[in-house]
Amino acid sequence: MKSKLFALLVVTALIFAACSPGGGGTAAGPIKIGGGFALTGDESALDLPAANGAKLAAKEINAAGGVLGRQIELVVHDSQYKMDVTAQIAKQFVEQDKVVGVVGFTDTDSVLAAGPAIQGAGLPFITAGATSPKIPTQVGNMMFLACFGDNVQAAAGAEYAFKNFGKNAYLLWDKGVEYTTLLGGYFKSRFTELGGTLALEDSYDDKATDFSAQIAKVKALAQQPDFYYIAAMPYNVGPVVKQFRDAGLTGPIVGGDGYDTPDILSVAGAAAENVWFSTHALIDAQGGTAGIKKFIAAYNKEYGHDPENAFAALGYDSVYLFVDALKRAGSTDAAAIKKALEETKSFPGITGAITFSADAHVPQKGVTLIKIAGGKFTLGAEIVPEKVPAP
Amino acid sequence: MIGPSIAILVLAVVLTLLQVSGLAFWQGLFVNLGIFLILVLSLNLSSGFTGVFSLGHIGFMALGAYTAAILTLPLREKHDYLPNLPAWLASVHFDFHLGSFPIGFLAATLIAGVLVALIAWLVGLVLMRLSGHFVAVATLGFLVIVRVILFNADDFTRGSRTFSNVTPYTDLWWVWAWALIVLYAVWRIKRSPFGRAMLAQREDRWAAQSIGIDVMRPRLLAFVISAFFTAIAGSLYAHFITSFSPTVFYFDLTFRVITMMVIGGMGSVSGSVIGTVLVIAIGEGLRRIEDATLLYGLSQIILAVIFLFIIIFRRDGLLGQREIPLDRLFLRGGDASARPPAQVSDVNRS
Repeated sequence: MKSKLFALLVVTALIFAACSPGGGGTAAGPIKIGGGFALTGDESALDLPAANGAKLAAKEINAAGGVLGRQIELVVHDSQYKMDVTAQIAKQFVEQDKVVGVVGFTDTDSVLAAGPAIQGAGLPFITAGATSPKIPTQVGNMMFLACFGDNVQAAAGAEYAFKNFGKNAYLLWDKGVEYTTLLGGYFKSRFTELGGTLALEDSYDDKATDFSAQIAKVKALAQQPDFYYIAAMPYNVGPVVKQFRDAGLTGPIVGGDGYDTPDILSVAGAAAENVWFSTHALIDAQGGTAGIKKFIAAYNKEYGHDPENAFAALGYDSVYLFVDALKRAGSTDAAAIKKALEETKSFPGITGAITFSADAHVPQKGVTLIKIAGGKFTLGAEIVPEKVPAP
Repeated sequence: MIGPSIAILVLAVVLTLLQVSGLAFWQGLFVNLGIFLILVLSLNLSSGFTGVFSLGHIGFMALGAYTAAILTLPLREKHDYLPNLPAWLASVHFDFHLGSFPIGFLAATLIAGVLVALIAWLVGLVLMRLSGHFVAVATLGFLVIVRVILFNADDFTRGSRTFSNVTPYTDLWWVWAWALIVLYAVWRIKRSPFGRAMLAQREDRWAAQSIGIDVMRPRLLAFVISAFFTAIAGSLYAHFITSFSPTVFYFDLTFRVITMMVIGGMGSVSGSVIGTVLVIAIGEGLRRIEDATLLYGLSQIILAVIFLFIIIFRRDGLLGQREIPLDRLFLRGGDASARPPAQVSDVNRS
């Protein structure tokens, strides 16, 4: 009995010993940037490409000679999409890795869990893909977004659909997640402001697999809406679209950047035709911009396949954005980097031009509207919304 | 009582060193350890001692977290983030201090605990009549109900949107003071007549009943006390992470706590401590290995495999129902001569 106990204690002690940090960065070594991503868990469909994009950017920057005469090192930790682990890796970045700033994450929960430790240490923090426009007020003045806010993409979707599809919409959202709830709310606010009406508003539980109850309510409507706005998470988009089509609802389905996953093509297949969604960039070797084409080629060379979605591009952009600020700051001092970030003017990101100011840490970027046609993503429209709902 | 005193002394030294060092990462790790310890101990009290396997405890944690956080949220944040609170709740703010001691946090935590214990009593009146698979499924139902309520009680919880800007009151001292209280309480309950009744009806309900041991009372008592402590852990968690949504309190957390309990041993207090420390330490160690090898996800796979092996080869967990006698551990190296005093003190205590 006792020997077993001691064996346990020894194992524990060994593990703790193994955990001790292995040498911090010296002034002459590489500049360390933290990369926080949920590489495993429910958010990994977005975070894994984002992390790959970020690593690719770091590699390119180093190949081109680094910044401030030094190489950069992207220190990546997996948050496992567990909030206690997320809060811990934020502290790990600050204390053990001694990073000069942090990039990463594609969802609000993770950013808010990691935020306090990074903000508390006074380090700049750029989220690659968490699109809640409220994040900077919730976390603090060191928080920046590399992506547009949900209010911007919802307004873009609402304006385009209002003009092209009609004035009578159906709204469905995943009520289990902040992102979809905000997106649905912003869509409703902009669409009704334009003079549109909602034939029906409905919601479903996160990770639902059966949408027949919602579909039955749509079919019971006296008049079918002109289009369906469905705010869904990446793991839900395939099933929800497929079941809507199987039920004979063929009108345009409009959504947000949660649709930007190859799963929608593989799960929904032919049912995905006539689906439109707002996202950060069209990742397509033919239809994309010059920057996107170059990015796809580099990504392909590094990882052996095309980028899975626009989050790869956002991860890529956030590292370049940070390094651009480093260069202009001329030092690794956090306050100087923050000031440089706030002075960012039309930074040529591959997901669009990024401009920050002291009051606006959410960039005003154009929105790419993608249309699924012929079994692939095609460019539907590039939109700068005329009016954006307040965050 | 020398053993426990030494253990507490060692813990106090470790905590003081951590506090002085100012290393937020290691402090955070020990805060997590303490919170999970409370969760595992209270789950063990209810599920391990009585054999009424609950999959719904994280629901109590969620209710505790939300209740305490709504209470402590300062007025300004309340106005910004929870504008639709009913007036009587909107004006309540437990952010007052006694000197520098946040007594409002303590009050909010206790209120959350009592409220959740009441809910557990109501739920338990029905659910504790069930046994085996039925109670597991029913408590799972409770977890789902709590989640749906949290999502839909928008005015109180912000629904699916992240509940943020909670004041970070929780530190090492709060967590470990509570952990020690829970540890002591659970330890005493196990050795009390109630605890023995719990274990007796767990082993053989009919035999226990035939000699006059009530089944319902000890079960309900365990369930209610356990819910109280789980809610306390929820409050500590809320004021540590400072932002959370209903998604956090679901299957993932449920299974992590169950893993710790099963590995340590269902029905063993010291097993709970060992299970929690081991799972957290292995998880943290493997996470470092992941970073070094880039094999992300490895830690979760290995933990799952360890869990499988324990289920197959050591179904009772590392300690089963047994306890590590601290007195013997620290005093005489566990030889036979130490046994009589330990037994004497047992008799004195019970």
